[in-house]
Amino acid sequence: MSETTISASHERNKAAEALRHALAATGPLLVLLLLILILWILSPPFRSPTSLMLLALEAAAIGVVAAGQTFVILTGGIDLSVEAMVSFAGVTAAILIAGTNVAGGQIAFGIADWQAVLIAITAGLAIGMFQGLIITGMNMNPLIVTLGFRSMLLGVSLVWTRGAGINIQKGPFLNFVTSTVDLFGLRVPMPFIIVLGIYFLLWIVLKHTKFGRYTYAIGGNETATRLSGINVDRVKVFIYGISGLLAAIGGILVMARLQSGAYQNGTNMTLISVAAVVIGGTALSGGVGGIWGTLIGVFIIRIVEAGLVYMSVPSNAKEIVIGAIIVLAVALDVIRRGDVKWLRFKRSRT
Amino acid sequence: MNLLEMRGIVKNFPGVQALKSVDFDVRRGEVHALVGENGAGKSTLMKILSGVYQADAGEILFKGQPVIFRTPRQAQDAGIVTIYQELNQVPYLSVTENIFLGSEWTRNGLLDWPAMHQEARRLLAKLHLDIDPRAPLYTLGVGQQQMVEVAKALHHKADLIIMDEPTSALSVREIEDLFAIIAELKAEGVAIIYISHHLEETFAISDRTTVLRDGRKIATKPSSELTVEQLIRLMVGRDLAEQFPKEIAPRGKEMLRVEGLRRDGKLHNISFSVHAGEILGIAGLVGAGRTELVRAIFGADPIDGGRIFVEGKEVHIRSPRDAVQHGIALLTEDRKTQGLVLLMSVRNNVTLASLDRLTRGLFTNAAKEQELTDGFINSLAIKTPNQQQLVMNLSGGNQQKIVLAKWLATHPKVLIFDEPTRGIDVGAKVEIYRLMNELARRGVAILMVSSELPEVLGMSDRIMVIHEGRVAGFLDREGANQEGIMELATGMAAAEIEQSKLFEASIHE
Repeated sequence: MSETTISASHERNKAAEALRHALAATGPLLVLLLLILILWILSPPFRSPTSLMLLALEAAAIGVVAAGQTFVILTGGIDLSVEAMVSFAGVTAAILIAGTNVAGGQIAFGIADWQAVLIAITAGLAIGMFQGLIITGMNMNPLIVTLGFRSMLLGVSLVWTRGAGINIQKGPFLNFVTSTVDLFGLRVPMPFIIVLGIYFLLWIVLKHTKFGRYTYAIGGNETATRLSGINVDRVKVFIYGISGLLAAIGGILVMARLQSGAYQNGTNMTLISVAAVVIGGTALSGGVGGIWGTLIGVFIIRIVEAGLVYMSVPSNAKEIVIGAIIVLAVALDVIRRGDVKWLRFKRSRT
Repeated sequence: MNLLEMRGIVKNFPGVQALKSVDFDVRRGEVHALVGENGAGKSTLMKILSGVYQADAGEILFKGQPVIFRTPRQAQDAGIVTIYQELNQVPYLSVTENIFLGSEWTRNGLLDWPAMHQEARRLLAKLHLDIDPRAPLYTLGVGQQQMVEVAKALHHKADLIIMDEPTSALSVREIEDLFAIIAELKAEGVAIIYISHHLEETFAISDRTTVLRDGRKIATKPSSELTVEQLIRLMVGRDLAEQFPKEIAPRGKEMLRVEGLRRDGKLHNISFSVHAGEILGIAGLVGAGRTELVRAIFGADPIDGGRIFVEGKEVHIRSPRDAVQHGIALLTEDRKTQGLVLLMSVRNNVTLASLDRLTRGLFTNAAKEQELTDGFINSLAIKTPNQQQLVMNLSGGNQQKIVLAKWLATHPKVLIFDEPTRGIDVGAKVEIYRLMNELARRGVAILMVSSELPEVLGMSDRIMVIHEGRVAGFLDREGANQEGIMELATGMAAAEIEQSKLFEASIHE
């Protein structure tokens, strides 16, 4: 092989590497834009600003839940209890507001809605931290612990509501939460603005605090992090606490929108949150990824769902598509790690 | 006819040409040492030979036939077996199952256990191993596990065995056993490519030596015509003033004292102290409890008794966090699994243990982090394109410097090195030794666990030898030699050692 061809193949490798990096960084965003473009072309009703705002609203609750899931997955764990937490927080707040656990019973003689919400999300934080304590203190597998709590929280929601939704009348606080804001003529839903606020806050936490750094370090190498004198267990307890807290906030957003707390409120949200995190570029093995990718992941899933509606696919078929997206997302995670031989880009030595 | 001919092998990786037209040949029944600094291309060349990588150019002739191995399995089937540095074994399976993994014998579609056990027993006997082939692998010592790998190679009727740092986890006795086996294999016409950082070993065992440097072959010579000095010069391309540039630093006050440390089943009544400016070498066989000792001091493992004093004050260490706060740092023996977060940047690894000091209010202070990291990149001569580089892309020596930087950032009073130079090249080793000198001069007390006796002898002010979880004795720099250490380490001397010597050592404490 002559020198020139060597340097040429060098350049090719370099270019491939650069392309791979660029794709890894902007891939999800490109997919999202592509999906929007396709839907824009194929479906005239989708082109209205209203449908875009509807999309933003649809993304809000699951967006908050997936944000918490991002933290857990970054540390190399997983939280399967989030959908149950969504239901539980909604049910708790609804019962407190309505003043009854009987469907269609007395409403709005309970406590003020902001108090009920505060209690519900505090419970979410506490239950999340409790899970974290069990996982770290007893050295238990997070998959099993959170799966167990999923069952317990759903069970409690079911018992408390006797299986039916508890309807509420929104007080001033929940009215504010579900309001819209006029921005440049667009009626932007408040839940979406709340989501953006939360994501910004979490981004700061991940990038510019010790807690965020330790989150990545634990996911990258828990042993090395522990041996660097970092209280890994404490960080993980807070990680599961954050996930519980954010899932509870997501639960409040769902409940406020439906004006009903029911044990089905969180259905499917665990799988979708995990899929959104992975689609957004966070590795299931932990240590690599970020928060904004997750938001893009949420939008990708929501827009596919919306697309099915606009393309008049029967809603019963939705589950099939969601399931396929999740499997694809995990496949994507494996491919990104370079663990699939026949799909491998030329990689540097490892 | 040579058994193996590799001609003009070229291999490119993104941004680096790992092999630049390398020729390499191996004769039947020959032990051929392959040496070079890390990054010289040894591993890449062997991975091409064993089918892990494919060459970009060049040809391979094996037994006179041109061959291209696309998978390790193909190379194995052709008779080339690699024994890797990290053993690729399944600890909970039996010896037999490990030997036959991937090539099980069957009878009527079912596994033929009696035949496989019998064959395993035959192979083990050939290696003079008295092991039950039904025993789970994890119940064996590291040395025996390595021998099981050799048995596996024999099972595959290997004509060529590649041994990549086979002795890195073996005791002196086990190394002797391995060498005896290698001699027997050789007599049967099996060729061995022997990769090692331990040059004494390659001299002891090899017929010819090939030196690689920067992806080029520098020389292939009969080992008997080379000296260690010549070999090192060929490897690094320059003279090394000294292998162990030890400087004696003034001995200051006592920094760490351990009294009666116990960990049931592992450590028994261990007492010692180390002073500012002193390097205390900790020697002993693999499994003697050296790593367990330093982990216990560091709070990584629980202790069942004993007291620890830092600068004369008793401290209670229950976690690595406590140890760090009392000024103790531990560079673990395995950088990659215990020392570094490979997927994080150089900067984030350097500042990981000292972030508490690098914050402004709630937030991390990027400017301070950058300044600190820049300081260490300069003072430790860390070779990295920038601070954002992921540490997984750096060489072993530079990775070790990053772990060191991480700990220096915490301003430690006591620095514990567990195998400080394992898997790093000759040039980088000397740099690490110089940094130890520098730290000792600045009044840090250093504990150095090492399996390399020349290193222990070369760098320690005093040596503590551990045998089966107990202190077998202390040796002074002047009075220490390899034989003395080995007597203590193997417990041979325990009974007959002069009482006075032990007494002296305890007085010394």
